[in-house]
Parts: sequence; structure tokens; C-alpha cells
Amino acid sequence: MRKITPLFAAALVSLPFLTGGAAAQSIDYGSLEALFGEPVTTSATGSPQRSTEVPVDMTIISAEDIKRSGAHDLPTLLGRVPGIDVLNWSTYGADIGVRGYNQPMSPRLLVLVNGRQVYLDHYGYTAWSTIPVQLSEIRQIEVVKGPNAALFGFNAVSGVVNIITFNPRYDDVDGGSVSASSRNGSEASLTHTFRPASAIAARISAGASRADEWDNTLGSRAAGYRAEVSKATVNVDTVWTVSEKTEVRFETSLSNSQTNDMISLFEAVPSKYLTSSVKLGLTSDTKIGVISAVAYRNALKHNVFLVHANGSYDNVITHVGVQDLFKIGAKHTIRLGLEARNNELTTSPIAGGKVSYDVVSASAMWNWAVRDSFSVSAAVRNDTLSLKREGSFAPGFPLASNANWDRDISKVSYNLGAVWRVSDRDSLRLMAARGAQLPSLVELGGLQLRVPYPGFSVAFMGNPFLEPTVVDNLELSYDRTFDSGKLGVRVFSQKSEAIKGQPSSTALFQMPTLTSLPAVSWQNVADSEMTGFELSASGRLGQAFHWNADVTATDVTDEAYPGVALPAQKADFSRMTPKTRGNVGLGWAGGKWTVDTFLHYTGDFTSYTPSSYVVVEVPAHTTLAANVSYDLGSNMTIAASGQNLVGGKQVQTSGFKVPATVFVTLSKRW
Amino acid sequence: MSKRLTHATALATAVATLFLAPLSAHADGAREIQVAGRTLTFLDGGPTGKVTFAIVYDASKPASVAEKDEVMAALGSGMAAGSATIVGKPVEAGAIGSAGDVGAYYITRGVNFTAVGSAAKSKKILSIGSDMACVKAGACVMGVAATPKVEIVVNSATAAAVGAKFKAAFKMMIKEI
Repeated sequence: MRKITPLFAAALVSLPFLTGGAAAQSIDYGSLEALFGEPVTTSATGSPQRSTEVPVDMTIISAEDIKRSGAHDLPTLLGRVPGIDVLNWSTYGADIGVRGYNQPMSPRLLVLVNGRQVYLDHYGYTAWSTIPVQLSEIRQIEVVKGPNAALFGFNAVSGVVNIITFNPRYDDVDGGSVSASSRNGSEASLTHTFRPASAIAARISAGASRADEWDNTLGSRAAGYRAEVSKATVNVDTVWTVSEKTEVRFETSLSNSQTNDMISLFEAVPSKYLTSSVKLGLTSDTKIGVISAVAYRNALKHNVFLVHANGSYDNVITHVGVQDLFKIGAKHTIRLGLEARNNELTTSPIAGGKVSYDVVSASAMWNWAVRDSFSVSAAVRNDTLSLKREGSFAPGFPLASNANWDRDISKVSYNLGAVWRVSDRDSLRLMAARGAQLPSLVELGGLQLRVPYPGFSVAFMGNPFLEPTVVDNLELSYDRTFDSGKLGVRVFSQKSEAIKGQPSSTALFQMPTLTSLPAVSWQNVADSEMTGFELSASGRLGQAFHWNADVTATDVTDEAYPGVALPAQKADFSRMTPKTRGNVGLGWAGGKWTVDTFLHYTGDFTSYTPSSYVVVEVPAHTTLAANVSYDLGSNMTIAASGQNLVGGKQVQTSGFKVPATVFVTLSKRW
Repeated sequence: MSKRLTHATALATAVATLFLAPLSAHADGAREIQVAGRTLTFLDGGPTGKVTFAIVYDASKPASVAEKDEVMAALGSGMAAGSATIVGKPVEAGAIGSAGDVGAYYITRGVNFTAVGSAAKSKKILSIGSDMACVKAGACVMGVAATPKVEIVVNSATAAAVGAKFKAAFKMMIKEI
């Protein structure tokens, strides 16, 4: 039975007292958006705000954007956001970075669904195919660029993606779709909202898909690499309106994804994910403010081929949190929050151990509307992590004492922002933020792998001494709106301390002794700085056309620690990051037709050939995607869409060439 | 004109055409009444069903009359606002005492809002103005603007005086004075 530490137990016990007697109310995104004529969000400060007034750099992908996108997965959608880098590795395998530092199993972008983390803590990345959400049930995707750790905590360092689904209390979403695609692909999706009682509304959604995996264009990949990939998810979202001011929301999900991944060591391997989640939230509009309490549990079983052996990881995250959001007078909004998290992982491929930690966090946010045209906000958060290990060690492994894992990590993160509305059409933002990227549980000790070589063996293991990467970000942005469009300019500078390098046989973590094996592990290898700018514009031409264009330039400079060869540890981000990326989109709607096209450019960068780790140059490339839809009437639509439509199989990464994929989709709403 | 300059001029013209940006804000009665109506959704115990707005105007001021006409045209036979349907009833400012049973006063620009605001407070009726001076003076509970961007300002003291309470999320997104 899982043990609950005293610290975590104290946080759990305090929850009912903090929320007791509260009555609840959630954000009605649809009504607020209709009122203000723009999306609203709580992902900037925890307080509801208009998207144009948030003190962070945020892009919101709307439900209409999704509908017009022709996208069948989240990475495709996110790749069209200015400044986003996507590494497409396989049919369902992709990694997303914000303004550089992208890599296999990208750890710097925190991803959530309605505030529940779907980022996988065991290895510190997001497996997009496991996210139990149908695109048709998404109200909006909120993309924050830069750290937002003062609200979301660890790992919100290069950015945050918060996927907001429709709320069954307010939004009646019913529909289904079926698709057929290249490589024998097929998909089906269903969403249904219903009211089992007058005070209860629920939405159930489910989806499944399969396809043949991309061709092996490299000649090498791991044994067991899947020729066919598939995924299935189901999600239930239920809201009980206790009173006009009190709401209880229960969400639960399952996913099963059988796919192929590129792991951080640059190995193309088969993966299988089984995830489940249960989340209970209470929101209450009380005399002392809007009190929200949430508790959720994520469970993951991940089977993955890890260089010579099959790994099997069981990871359970238990999270509780409470916050109070209130105004003082007319100009001051305050948020106070407490959170606690327990996270544990069994060791693998060699079992017998368990690595775990408890995190207790306290946060506060203050937003001051200094004048009608000028506001400042300050948010600060402290996360204290207590790491530990229990169980046995593999024979011959160094550091074979659980006491080596008895360690606390405490980090302060902050977000400071000033928003100045220079005029009705012009606004300036100045933002400073700090966040911490936590080493994953695998990196802290979950990996226990013995790799035999002729005459000797090497221990691949976690490193209990690994430090978090601390990211500081400074950004100035200018936005101007026009009657028919908008323009944005951003300049930014970011510094990352204690960047993590991958295990390498050229950089032993532990030297061999008479009784222990040589060991390799993740290590802190460098500091790094990034500067850049982003230009974006979008608008409409008449009622029929809309367009968008953006370009983001970044320059990364790494400063390796003494004796470290960054290429050997696959952490030379100055070369692994393209200097330029950009998008051009054009859409038209007329009568029953819509046509949308999307061009995405990525500059050249350096990467590593899977398995051999040979350094290769990935050439600059442009991808083309398009979507054509026709309204059949009776709420039915037929659409043809395609991704990667330029030049057949295209080199986009050091992995397999990316094929063109064409979908035909029939959808109906009711 | 040199060829290069011609190209630059053409490019500048194209960019200007893309944005088509008149820089002056202007009142838009139809959109403002829509904003005003939608705020009812965020009133604690807000109205449901048919709600009549008294559209208060000054017959001696053409701008006020024009705004009243715009608002009445926008409301038509009823404008949906959440679970309420808003209908309009033109009321001359001088006859506000005989407005009858209405859910709110919508005060157009140019009206002597002090007198109308006093009437609203005495009858505990929500008062909404398209002139921000009305809310700043405490005569209106709420001021609304729709162009170039939706702006909502609530006078907390006036709201308290008429017993209007707004939901917390709404209060965090508007300006309070």
C-alpha cells in the first residue's frame, strides 16, 4: 500500500477546512467571450482575464481555429503558433519546444487539460497521443510562451499549454466524425453532452484511431518498432451545480496508446501507454472570494524499449490544491494558493526500487490596476520537494544506499508583468519570469539498467544529485490592433542555468570500483542563453478571407561546464535549435465552402542520427498543410485535409522522413 | 518617381489596405446595447424571461434620439441575453417617472443623467449608460462601450445603492470605481 508522508497528509487534511462551507461557481468562458468579444483565460495569473490584457505572452487557439485547421492532432495545431518548434518523429510521436531547446522527450513545456497536468512526470515530457481529449470538445488551447511557474509550478519553464474543454454546465456539444487517411489510417470520434438531472450536466467523449507507421527511411530502429500504431481515449466530464454559486466538477479519463517514440537518447523505440485519471474540483463564490479546491490522481503504465531492455514504468501522481481569489477594493486582485503533490515511480528495467517525492507549494499573486490604462502584476511561488528512495538496488550498481536520495529541493519562481494600454489600439507589456525544470523521476533514479559489453557492463542509472534547470526570461512586447487585423512585436532574452545532458559513455557519472560498475547518467552540463524576436500579424480581407504571418528568430549560446563535450551529451542547443521559424496562413470561406492553407518554415539545425548518434544537419524545410471543407447541410460536413504536402517524404528531423498524409473526414453535429 | 520608390509605395499601400485602420473610436448604439444586455448574465439572481429596458433619451438632442433609434432597432422584437430576452421601451428623460415596470434604464448620450440616476436609485433599478461620465458621476451603475474594444465600468457605490451584485468572475474582468 502506498504510504502518505506527514507533509502530504497535512496538506490533504487541511483541504476540507480551507474549503468548508463554501458555495462554487466556475468560469463561463462562452458568455464572457461573447460579452468582451475576445477569449478569456485564467492561465496567466489564475484570475479570469481578457486575452489582450494578460501579463504574459499568450496565444489562444480557438474552437473555430481548430475546426478550420484540418488538424487531427495537437502537435499539428500547436506547430502553427508563432515561435513553436515541432519535431515530428512518427505517426503519433512529436516533441514541441517554445523558442528553441526542443529535443526528443521535450521537458520544458508543461501541458495541462483544464488545469490537470498531462505532462508525464516519470520521464518529464508529453506523449501527445495519451491526452484524452477529442479536438471537437476543445473550447480553446492557451499557449503561454516563457515561464509561468509562479502559477503552475515546476516544469512550466519554456511555456505552458492549457487545453480548455467545453464545460457541460454551459456548453452543449454533441457530434461525431469518422476519417480515413493515408497509410491505412482510420479515426472515429464521438462527443455527447447530456443532463442526467436538472442540476447535473455531463459530457462523454471517446475516440480511436490507427494507421501504418512511417516507412523506415534510416535502415535502423529498435526491435519491436511497431509497423502499426493505434490509440484510444475516453473522457467523462460532469458538473454538479450545487447552487448558483457552487459547482462541483468531476472528470475522469482513460487512454491506451500503442505507438513509437524517439526517446531522449535518440533511439527510435516502441512505446505503450496506459493512462487513467480522476479529478474532483470545487469552485465557490463566497464572501471571502472565489475558493477553488482540486484533487486529482494520474496513473501511468508505460512500457518502452530502453536500449537493450524493455522498461516498464508505473507512475502515480496525486495532487491536491486550494486557492482563494478575491478583490480588495476596486483595483487589487489577489490569489493565494496551496498545493501538495506526491509522485512515485518504480525502477525499471531492473525492478526492486521506488523513487518518490512530495512537493508542497505556496503561491500568491497580486494584480493592481494602477490606472485604467496601466496594470501591474506580481506572482511568486515556492516549491519544496522532498526526494526519497526505497527498495533494493541492482547488483554492482554504485550509490547503493537509499540515503543518497534523502534530499530536499526548494525553488522560488516568479512572474512579474506590467501592461500599459498606450491607446485604444496599442499596448505594451514588460514581463520578467523565473521557473524551474525539475529532473524527472527516471532521471533521479527510476532508470536501473545494466548494459553488457564484451568483458564488462555499464550501469545506466538515475542521478539523485541532479539539479533543476532554472530558467529566467525577460520579454517586451508591443501589440496593435486594427479594424481588420493586428500586429505584434516581441523581443526576449532567456537564461537557463544547469541544463541537463543525456547519459554518455564519454562522461562517466560514477567511476568503476572493485565492487561497483562504471555508471552513466544525466548530468548538469551547461548554462545557456537565448535571445530573439518575434513578429506576427493577422487580419481579414473582407468577410471571406483571413490571413496570418509570423517569424521568430532565436540565437542560443551554450556555455559548457569544464570538461563537458555538449555534443556527446546531446545538449548543444546552440546548434540543435533552428535560428528561424515562421508561418503563413491564408483562409477563405464562401457559401458552403471553406479553404485554408498553412505554410510552416523551419531553419536548419543539428541533430543526432538515432542509434548511431552521428551528428547530422537537418536542412531548412517548409511544410504545407491544407484543409477544404464543404457543408453538406443537416449539420454535416465533409473535409479533405493534408499535412506535409510538399515534396513527398521530407527530412524534418534526424529521424525518419515525414510522409505526406491526406485525410477525408465526415463529421456531424447535433 | 524612381522604380524603387514606386515599389515601396505600392508595398506601403498594400500593407495599409490589409489593415484598413481608421484610428478614431465611435459610438455604436447597436453593439453597446448588446454588451449591456449580456452583462445581465453576470448579475447575482439576474433576470430571466422577458426584461424591459427603458431606453432613456432627450428629444431635444439629435444624438440622443439617434442612439435611441439605433438601440430600439437592435433590440427589435427581443434580444436574447442568457436566459433573458430584452425588449426596449423608449422613454423621454423628462417622463422617467412614468416609465412603468422596467428592468433597467439604458441612458443614451446627452441625457441629464443626474436626474435619471436619482430616479433609478430611488426605485432600485439598474441603470446603464453609454456615456462613461454617467457612471463616473455615480448616476449609472454601469457604463458600457463597444468600440474599438468592449469596456465595462461599474460604480460600486451606485451598484450597492440599487442592490445590484455581480458575479466574482465578472467583477475581476471589468473596471470598478
